[in-house]
Amino acid sequence: MIDAADAPHLARPGTSIAAGVLALGVHAAFLLLLVVGVSWQTEHPAPVMVDLWEALPAEPSPPPVADPRPQPEPPPMPEPVRQVPPPPPPVAKEVPAPKAPDIALEKKKAEQEKKKAEAARLEKLKAMQAAEDKALADAARIEAEAMKRAQEKQLAEKKKRELLRQMEEDELMQKMAAEDAASEARHVRQAEARALAGQRQAAVAKTIGQYRDMISAAVRGNTRLPDDLKGNPEVRFWVRLLPTGEVTDIKLTKSSGNAAYDDAVERAIRKSSPLPLPADAEAKRAFVPELSFVHRPKE
Amino acid sequence: MKPDFGQDLSLVHLILNASIPVQIVMALLLAASLMSWWYIFIKLFALKRAMRITERFEREFWGGGDINAMYQRISAERDAAGEMERIFEAGFREFMKLRRQAGVSINVVIDGTRRAMRATYQRELDGLESHLAFLATVGSVSPYVGLFGTVWGIMIAFMGLSSVAQATLAQVAPGIAEALIATAMGLFAAIPAVIGYNRYTHDIDRLANRMESFMEEFSNILQRQATKPA
Repeated sequence: MIDAADAPHLARPGTSIAAGVLALGVHAAFLLLLVVGVSWQTEHPAPVMVDLWEALPAEPSPPPVADPRPQPEPPPMPEPVRQVPPPPPPVAKEVPAPKAPDIALEKKKAEQEKKKAEAARLEKLKAMQAAEDKALADAARIEAEAMKRAQEKQLAEKKKRELLRQMEEDELMQKMAAEDAASEARHVRQAEARALAGQRQAAVAKTIGQYRDMISAAVRGNTRLPDDLKGNPEVRFWVRLLPTGEVTDIKLTKSSGNAAYDDAVERAIRKSSPLPLPADAEAKRAFVPELSFVHRPKE
Repeated sequence: MKPDFGQDLSLVHLILNASIPVQIVMALLLAASLMSWWYIFIKLFALKRAMRITERFEREFWGGGDINAMYQRISAERDAAGEMERIFEAGFREFMKLRRQAGVSINVVIDGTRRAMRATYQRELDGLESHLAFLATVGSVSPYVGLFGTVWGIMIAFMGLSSVAQATLAQVAPGIAEALIATAMGLFAAIPAVIGYNRYTHDIDRLANRMESFMEEFSNILQRQATKPA
């Protein structure tokens, strides 16, 4: 016989509604965090203007071979190069400078001469008039009137002629000034071009020097100096390079006197392949396709 | 939200634009996550309550209370009683019944009492451990499910890439982003489930230890009472 009180107790359902609400709350909170907290990229950064300079030497990109020296900060470097075209260099300005006073002097001289001539003419005129006046005073009044008219006519004619001449002179002056200005501009342009070429050459030379140093550093880093090496002997190699910097051929042109060292440097050059090359085409010409390589074990 | 570049990487957009298998995986994971959190909270409340009631009962029992009065009170409100209280009640009832029958040796009485208590203990432990298996399953499986969704989504993204002449990152990025949401959801479901599972198994183990100790101690007390000349 089974007693009802003996029946085992059955597990009751738990507090499921509260748990359900809490579970939903956790998910809602997480979703809110995702939507609000994480900034899903819907805005794109504003476009950036980039100037490309084909003609000017580009700043050499950081070489793949470790450069022991800290790179001189790249941003200030291209500044002077880039700013060259707008302001005419000081050299260009100085060329026409001594010329300007010359022109002014000439101009002044011409003006003075003109003035002098005019004054003389006026004096002459006055004297003539006085003499005529005197003669006329003696002559009859009717004649005098006729004479005066004629004189007036003459004067007008003379004035006209004078005006014409002046106009001609002016024209000439203008022409001269224009010619001067043209030659000046030409000079400025030439000087500018010269300065630009000089700067460019300097930049290329600088880049070449930089990369020479870089190649030397790379080779030096890979060189295993023989034990019996004494002093700082110079060794020269003729190296043939691909445009990518890959070494294809090496020839010894001047031995250091130590065959082991020569071999070590040759191995180091091969090991350093590809050699760092400047991006600038003009500077690259110093290295590709052939490079005369001078090397010393120590700097 | 501007529709520039023809892409909108907002969460809702990514989920709605996902391929069907990935969406199914996401729905599955969401359901698993909801269920596991639900069970986590149910278990949390249940275990807290069990701890609290056990604490109270032990204090009362060892505080020298009247065992008969306690038995009366607990059997009157069995539904509200705690696990250890029910073990005590089952054991004491069995003990009383066996004592009332004439000609039963003490050993038999004590054995019967222990059996009754052990049966109740097993049942209570089973009740405490319910749903834990679900948490364990979610914890171990949902990362794989999420990974499946991700792999599928990336597959679709790269298949779409094969038909264009010029491949750009912008063509695969949305696909990969939506696919990775599946992994994120899998992890979101798995991590709390694993933590909850470990925490609750530990708590239940401790409770079970306490109950077993109590059973042994209570048997001893009953044996002492039974051998005492009444």
